[in-house]
Amino acid sequence: MRVVHYLNQFFGGIGGEEHADTEFQVHDEPVGPGRLLEHILGEDAQIVRTIVCGDNYATENMDSLTAFVVEKTEEVQADLFVAGPCFEAGRYGVAAAGLCVAVSSELDIPVVTGMATENPGVDLHRQSLFIVDSGQNAAAMRDVLTKMSEMAHKLAEGCQIGSPEEEGYIARGILKDAFVEDTAAERLVAMLSAKVNGEYFASELPAPSFPAITSPAPVVDMSKAKVAIITDGGLVPAGNPDNISAWAATNWGAYDISGKDGLQGDDYEVSHRGYDTRYVEQSPDRLVPVDALRELEESNIIGELHNKFFSTSGLVNPIANSRRLGREIAEQLKESEVDAVILTST
Amino acid sequence: MLLTLAIHDIGSIALGAATKLEGNKLEVDPVELRQLLLEDSRLQSVDIETVSPGEECRIGVVYDIIEPRTKEPGSGSDFPGILGPIKMAGQGTTHVLRGAAVTVVDDGATLENAKILEMTGPAGEASPYTSLHHLVITPHPVQGLERHTGLAVTRLASVTTAVYLAKCTLEITPDSAEIFDSEGPFVKGREGLPRLAYIGQIHSRQRVAEIDEKILYGDNTAGMVPVLLHPNEWLDGAVVTCNRAMGAETYFYQNHPVITELYRRHQQDEITFVGTIATVAASDNEERDRICMLAAEQAKWNLSADGAVLTKYGGGAPHADMSQTALRCEELGIRTTVQVSDMSWDRRAESALLFNYPEVDAIVYVGGRDTDWQVPASGRVIAGNGEVAEDLGGPRKLFSTNVCGVASQQGISRLRALVY
Repeated sequence: MRVVHYLNQFFGGIGGEEHADTEFQVHDEPVGPGRLLEHILGEDAQIVRTIVCGDNYATENMDSLTAFVVEKTEEVQADLFVAGPCFEAGRYGVAAAGLCVAVSSELDIPVVTGMATENPGVDLHRQSLFIVDSGQNAAAMRDVLTKMSEMAHKLAEGCQIGSPEEEGYIARGILKDAFVEDTAAERLVAMLSAKVNGEYFASELPAPSFPAITSPAPVVDMSKAKVAIITDGGLVPAGNPDNISAWAATNWGAYDISGKDGLQGDDYEVSHRGYDTRYVEQSPDRLVPVDALRELEESNIIGELHNKFFSTSGLVNPIANSRRLGREIAEQLKESEVDAVILTST
Repeated sequence: MLLTLAIHDIGSIALGAATKLEGNKLEVDPVELRQLLLEDSRLQSVDIETVSPGEECRIGVVYDIIEPRTKEPGSGSDFPGILGPIKMAGQGTTHVLRGAAVTVVDDGATLENAKILEMTGPAGEASPYTSLHHLVITPHPVQGLERHTGLAVTRLASVTTAVYLAKCTLEITPDSAEIFDSEGPFVKGREGLPRLAYIGQIHSRQRVAEIDEKILYGDNTAGMVPVLLHPNEWLDGAVVTCNRAMGAETYFYQNHPVITELYRRHQQDEITFVGTIATVAASDNEERDRICMLAAEQAKWNLSADGAVLTKYGGGAPHADMSQTALRCEELGIRTTVQVSDMSWDRRAESALLFNYPEVDAIVYVGGRDTDWQVPASGRVIAGNGEVAEDLGGPRKLFSTNVCGVASQQGISRLRALVY
């Protein structure tokens, strides 16, 4: 097994923070912890190349570093790419995880890295990598390299990777069903007893962490603003011309309302399974208030109602999908020079 | 309040000349049962069949599954408000055909998002219902009825049959007894034990309940705010599922997994089970605020609970009601656990929760979205109509969420999504 190893300036033996601006260097041999890693990986494994780069340099030149690492890894026909372990070192972790993702997708070879759960590299790339949980303490280097080596062999041999607890990697946030011994009721009551008694309990789903979305600046003058309506309530023209799914919709539609003072029930239908749609079907203005906004337009409280409303079904829509739909609609709005949006949900 | 379940163990079921229990052999006279059911003039006919454990059979669309039970005369009413006159459920003696079920097929439903009972194979093994001896009835309401009236007819036939079957045990000494005895929130002599409650949704206003839909003591829950129920009331016929119940059947109200588990720990003196609250998921925000607040306040000021288990009904939106109620409980000092159904269609943990309250931190996650079974054509099909029968009988994919009891929202599920 031919291995390429990535290290930062500290573990690469160049020096501490004062050397964080060091450009990337290539050594065709193991360096620093690479020597121990090569030993632990076993007789069949050889670290044929080590790439070392300063943390600041890596952060500031990620694109060129990535291209360089991919090229240098391909050049030696590596079977495995290892980065770190990085423990708590944030810039190191971000670079290592980013490089692993790039090498994996460009070269399709197994990649392994290790870091502490708090490392920002984890948040960025946990979903696509097996990141061995290194803990915070670099003195545990041998243990961490052992776990990384085990993971590397399993990935190289195409083995099924077990649960995070079994394998020692940081949960990737991927759900897999399993049948368990205890019923949900038994788990609920046991967890509640522990919680009430102040004992340890393990939620079956960790709390999600979402980046905060900052509010945009307020519209300065609504009487001059072009306003659009977006709904995730699934209102579509009769016949659902864009085939928007009633749940987990993967597309959205933009529907012309120019010249309309309101929406007529006969012209529309609702593609959404999560609420009682009868009232919207009777009068679509209840969801997409064209009637009210026309009045506001008339009395110049808003400048103009955009000539299309946007619609999709928000029901059980995966986050990644929702993000994409939002991005796509936002691009359209920008193109149409819309100033403000009213979002109606159900 | 004390409820005694007189348990009659059922080891086999067959149609025969008389409805009777001999030893553990249950025999059902379809002629007499049909005659009884057809007293409802809105019913045109009814199909009656039996299905035993291990027998290859696929049943759909399942309307409900009910454990056959009847009250000992003088100790209450059978399914009060739903079948019998309104009297408080949960006291006296109730005869139970343990190991039997009345499984009711809806003759007007399509297979879209339908509930199916698969008796054998891996899908069958995953369901708690396949070890039961089923009397399967398919009521056919007369032509031309409104759909909701047809469903009301089906509901009435379902409970009528469940009671009818159990009546044959009234003179028979039961095999065993189960005692459910709780003095409620005012119980004395259990100081120091954590006081736990259950807050369960029994309907979701995502779908407006029909005027003749009987859910709680016959009420359709429209306009309902949270109500305190003694745990025994759930177990003894006060609550049945609504017309289109996802992941819930009356059987597991009668054998409520959360309530019986709380009772078990109560009886072992680990906790004090102080009571339950039945609630609904709202259709709009103001209603949600009101209902969630009231449910939590009842748990605090009427039950004086230290902790509460919360479960939801229906689909996605009721997660909001459950979590908001849990949040309000936590704010009032009541610790909570919540049972969440699987909402992650992309199998990402980030898509799994439809709420984001740091205080609601104890979650039981019923999985299901990546559990399905490719099943071959079934040797026997019981379906509501010919069209469904044709579709249902062939090879098909069964999703865990469509197989009765697998991804249950009532606490019986052993399915769990693990985070990898």
